[in-house]
Amino acid sequence: MGLKIDVLTCTACMACELACGYHRDDAFALLSSCIMPYRAKEKKNYVGVMLKEEDSLVAARPEGLEINRIGEQQDPEKEADASAKPMLLREACDLCEDVDDGPLCIKFCPVNAISMD
Amino acid sequence: MEYLASNKIGIVDLTTREILEEELEDDLVLEKIGGVGITRSLYDRFADEDPVILGTGLLTGSLVPGSALSVITAKSPVTGRVSHAPLTLDAGMELKYSGFDYLVIKGAAVKPVYLWVHDGILDINEDNDLWGKDVWAATDHIRSLMGDDLIQVLGIGEAGERASDLAQICINYWQSGDRMGFGGLLGKKQLKLIAIRGMGLLEIAEPEEFVEHCAGLLSAVKSGGAAKIRGIAAMAAALGAPDLDDWLKPLTHKHMACFNTPLPTNTFVFLDEDPALLKETTVAEPGFLLTDISPLLKLKRLGLPAADACRILRECAKRGMDGAAVAELSEKAGLKDMGAIQGALSTLKGPAPTAGETAFSPWAAIGNQDPATWLRRQAVAYIFGLDPVFALIAPELTEEKLLDIASIGTELELTSETLDEVVAHITGS
Repeated sequence: MGLKIDVLTCTACMACELACGYHRDDAFALLSSCIMPYRAKEKKNYVGVMLKEEDSLVAARPEGLEINRIGEQQDPEKEADASAKPMLLREACDLCEDVDDGPLCIKFCPVNAISMD
Repeated sequence: MEYLASNKIGIVDLTTREILEEELEDDLVLEKIGGVGITRSLYDRFADEDPVILGTGLLTGSLVPGSALSVITAKSPVTGRVSHAPLTLDAGMELKYSGFDYLVIKGAAVKPVYLWVHDGILDINEDNDLWGKDVWAATDHIRSLMGDDLIQVLGIGEAGERASDLAQICINYWQSGDRMGFGGLLGKKQLKLIAIRGMGLLEIAEPEEFVEHCAGLLSAVKSGGAAKIRGIAAMAAALGAPDLDDWLKPLTHKHMACFNTPLPTNTFVFLDEDPALLKETTVAEPGFLLTDISPLLKLKRLGLPAADACRILRECAKRGMDGAAVAELSEKAGLKDMGAIQGALSTLKGPAPTAGETAFSPWAAIGNQDPATWLRRQAVAYIFGLDPVFALIAPELTEEKLLDIASIGTELELTSETLDEVVAHITGS
């Protein structure tokens, strides 16, 4: 069981990232979130959502889902996303296991772009 | 100020290059709450030094729905009045997490500079390559220099550099709600841009209770009448303005939200790429993010095709010009096609006719709102740090609930009487 992200519905509002940061820190911060919309290709309006799981880094892109196993060598021809490195250092998604009504990213997504898979 | 704040006011003197820091005192928050309440207070304190004040709302950057807003307060060269313009998209949030709640920028540099605001540090830097660049190139330059594409850039283009009344402070590549000519103020100060990166942390007095209230507010908004709004055309219609949907739809790539704003109030249009493209485009600059309803309405009224209107606005953003003022002045000059309007951009002169008559940029004053209601709602949004367009169509965020949640988050006793006093001071009512 994990998170399912509909990136075509996502509006990149970052509510999921902030909610996740709150889950980690009991405060508002963005640096410890295991989920984040990436905003680095702003002029192209190319938006996706990255999720750090226990063994993988999931990139939900408009083209489809990309799952990169952590520790395995990636395609050297492929341009690394600037947001990927700090994501690898973060704690993996625990589906907000201590929260009664489920993951906070789902709860705070205003457009219902995140659900349980 | 221990909660929902970085507890720091930065005071920059561009003339002497002196940078001071002050704590954000609880007493100031108890008296002025935040946002425009405090930026106006700081403006009054430094009024003799021609200040430009940047400030965050009390709830900016929190999980309260719509918490995207920071504000610029300065004396408008267009109206001659102390005025306020919104900073939305992700820039308002970024300032909140930069380690500063408020920035006072006074004096003028003797040669072009930029401010670098990050991690509680404030630097005045020179860069000989920046002045003369358009807004897009300047944003690219500073992000490349710092190696971080998430830096938020408040910058000016050639219009600001020549202190035009039509100049606007842009946000990254896009138009902002600055209808007050503040871009020209930065030009006079020889301040090309303010680069902001926020990686801070905001403590909450009662975290669980605060977040539960945020969830309740979001739930109410999602159940409310505006919940289905997607994009700038739908937003215009919701505010009672003429319908832009059929006009813009063929260009629409995706609707985009400001930080933590439930409704995507902006629309990205593809002008040099297929709007239906789902994968990453190979075109470096395929389109434009529409953030401002007014110039679209005005350019449509001139009879322009949507693509031409959007190209004009993209050019305005590169030059750092207020698109609504350009549209209005173009109409007055009898310019009716893209070539004529773009050709006149460097010679169009103000005063910008769109600055409005209140202390707030009329960025959100669209359609058929009651002026008194609009003024009050804008004041509240600018105090708490809510996207002002969103605030207009989200009555679920009542003043009572905002005061309640702010008190829970800060442990300060904030009352409706205080809010009334701050609103009265800001609006002059």
